[in-house]
Amino acid sequence: MQRSFPRHLDALTPLYEFAEGMMEAHDIAEGIRFPVHLAMEELFVNMVKYNPDISTDIEVDVSLQVNQEVRVSLVDDGGVEFDVTAARPIDIDAPLEDRIPGGLGIHLIQSLVDTLEYEYQDGRGEVIFTKGSGNKDV
Amino acid sequence: MFDIEHGNHGTVICRGRLDAAQCEKAEGFLAGLEGATTLDFAGLEYISSAGLGILLKTQKRLVADGGGLKIINVNNHIHDVFRYSGFHTIFDIRAK
Repeated sequence: MQRSFPRHLDALTPLYEFAEGMMEAHDIAEGIRFPVHLAMEELFVNMVKYNPDISTDIEVDVSLQVNQEVRVSLVDDGGVEFDVTAARPIDIDAPLEDRIPGGLGIHLIQSLVDTLEYEYQDGRGEVIFTKGSGNKDV
Repeated sequence: MFDIEHGNHGTVICRGRLDAAQCEKAEGFLAGLEGATTLDFAGLEYISSAGLGILLKTQKRLVADGGGLKIINVNNHIHDVFRYSGFHTIFDIRAK
């Protein structure tokens, strides 16, 4: 199921409701739904931040594979190239005084999803991720 | 939907979903805290990296002044997010 969302943080609640409704209808476990929501938000917020063209919507496609794996695609036209699959090492053992707010979003996505792909061509960026292999907690 | 308010005995109650759209509300409230403070996450369902950033910023400020945040009643999913972020080493975190 595909839907477009305006490029604004106010769209986070409708985005959550869209994905939650679909996953709830398919009895996807909370242990899968939580990281799906988290990855969707982090990717969506990145697309909001790094594309100044507010006239274009962000297309979000949430689909379920035969084996109940959740597959999510986010498509952004006109944004800058930003490969979310590229490694961005973060020292999660650093002491408090060395921590700087920010930069955790991509780290969390890479930690929580099962697969993560990125394509960028002619100003069009697409991120696809999958999570879960059934309707049980992981 | 996200709510933050003072509870009993100096505890701060957080409820709902702390996403990027709610960070301004959370940051405005947490900026007013001083000393050692307990955040009760019993009603908090979700947090993203934007919320983590606000917690980190608050913790750095409070610890520098001799205080700090203790976070209690953390659900399993948020606890996982804290663990993946290494927050369990810089916050006093208690699970539900």
